[in-house]
Amino acid sequence: MIDTLALVETPEGISLRLRAAGVMPRAAAWALDVAIRLSVLIGLGMLFTLLGEAGGGAYLLGLFCVVWGYPVAFEVLRDGQTPGKQIVGLRVVHANGTPVGWLASVVRNLMRTVDMLPFGYGIGVVAGLVDRRGRRLGDIVAGTLVVHADATRAAIAAPSVPVIDLVQPLSAGERSALVAFAERAPSLTPERQGELASLLPMLTNAHGAIAVQRLLGIAAGILGRR
Amino acid sequence: MRQDDFQRRHEAEWAALDEWLALRSRPSRKLRSQDAEAAFGDLEFARAYRRVCQQLAIAERRGYSGVVLERLRMLVHRGHLVLYRPPALRLQAALSFVASGFPRLVRAEWRAMAISALLLFAPMLAMIALLQWRPELVGSVFEPAQLAELEGMYDPDAPHGKLGRESGSDLRMFGYYVYNNVSIGFRTYASGLLAGIGPVFVLMMNGTLIGTAAGHLTAIGHGGPFWRFVVGHSAPELLAIVIAGGAGLGLGMALLAPGRLTRSRALAQAGAVGAKLVLGAFAMLMFAAFIEAYWSSIGSLPDSVKFGSGALIWLAMLGWLALGGRTR
Repeated sequence: MIDTLALVETPEGISLRLRAAGVMPRAAAWALDVAIRLSVLIGLGMLFTLLGEAGGGAYLLGLFCVVWGYPVAFEVLRDGQTPGKQIVGLRVVHANGTPVGWLASVVRNLMRTVDMLPFGYGIGVVAGLVDRRGRRLGDIVAGTLVVHADATRAAIAAPSVPVIDLVQPLSAGERSALVAFAERAPSLTPERQGELASLLPMLTNAHGAIAVQRLLGIAAGILGRR
Repeated sequence: MRQDDFQRRHEAEWAALDEWLALRSRPSRKLRSQDAEAAFGDLEFARAYRRVCQQLAIAERRGYSGVVLERLRMLVHRGHLVLYRPPALRLQAALSFVASGFPRLVRAEWRAMAISALLLFAPMLAMIALLQWRPELVGSVFEPAQLAELEGMYDPDAPHGKLGRESGSDLRMFGYYVYNNVSIGFRTYASGLLAGIGPVFVLMMNGTLIGTAAGHLTAIGHGGPFWRFVVGHSAPELLAIVIAGGAGLGLGMALLAPGRLTRSRALAQAGAVGAKLVLGAFAMLMFAAFIEAYWSSIGSLPDSVKFGSGALIWLAMLGWLALGGRTR
């Protein structure tokens, strides 16, 4: 699994970009969920011990809910994220990119019984390593995927500089490379900016900081600034 | 159109959708008090979402830069999650599933159900019959300690008020039955993924154990309390295990003989059918646990009430599975 990006076409005619999650982040999310569930169970245990005999029955009902109900309820009601997955930044979706539904969530979580075999999620880990999209058996049977939930990134606009009109025509790829440079420039050191800009003397007729300014100016022109 | 003009022209739309999505997709408590309709009406959402999808397609085609593409992709992604969110559970749908959808599904899968029933009931009845003829064979199934406990639990001369348990209140036993039996049902289904070996093993083992216990207790004259205890909840419990086992066998068959589908597609189909069956079996096991904890354990009722109600529950369960959801 080097590139886990899966493009899924939606009915709206565009491609969703799903980045399938590998074994390690999923194991981390699982461990967090186990910790949360154990602490809930310990809390319930202490509470219900006070209630005596009937408390034991209520504890077993609570145990049932935490063991079988917890993953399903959170996945369906919270956009495919159990608390552990939310912390790690994972999300369960159907293979077509839509949020996971009740049936699929029930299946993938019941199938943990098999993925856990022979010990320590052995089958699940092997399946996850073999499958191109990192699915364990439960995911295959349920038709689901675990993907990285994209964090909202604040887009950085290209810096405003005086526009320089292009003299020679550039291809679409070259134009988008220039714009990408302008948008990434604020996150680079001035030295690195100068280094990169110096690669294009035929465009700028300059080196260093002046070349950077000229490239930014050309990019501003491509973006349509005035 | 140059990128900046495109951005300027649509910026207001994107901001409105952004605001609406922030208020509609799992809002924080602080945001929940605000009204999302301030951005635009909920009915406008589908149109706004489609427009953003179209704008994303245009932006990709025109080779606009990451600033625009990332922004649009993020809007589309969040909109997609809201638009295709799973429907809320409706009581109406749940009731109609129990009344008609589930029995129909069980009948549609009758082959798997028949095999599953055979795997459970054949060893059970065989053991009951065998132990009447050769009672000493019980030693090959149960340890002496287990036998002593079993005999003590259903001793007709013992002065306990509750049937079928050593101790424990009704609620405690209800919790125990729910956790234990439903977990067994779920695992029976899931283990079908192991080429169907799981359910075959669980069904035959449970059939043998139940049959041995029943046969032995009947043979040594402890049959009265035993049958009085189990007759009430046996119908939903045994049938639920049969159905969960049948769902597991269906899963195993999808793996072994996917037919004209790819294996993963066959598994996905069998998985969805099986999940519905298991959800129905789950409801039956909850019902069984309730009867087992609160009705079966009452020791003071006369035989006629015990066996009459048991027969009625068997008839009702079988009638429900055989007739539920038929149109004619």
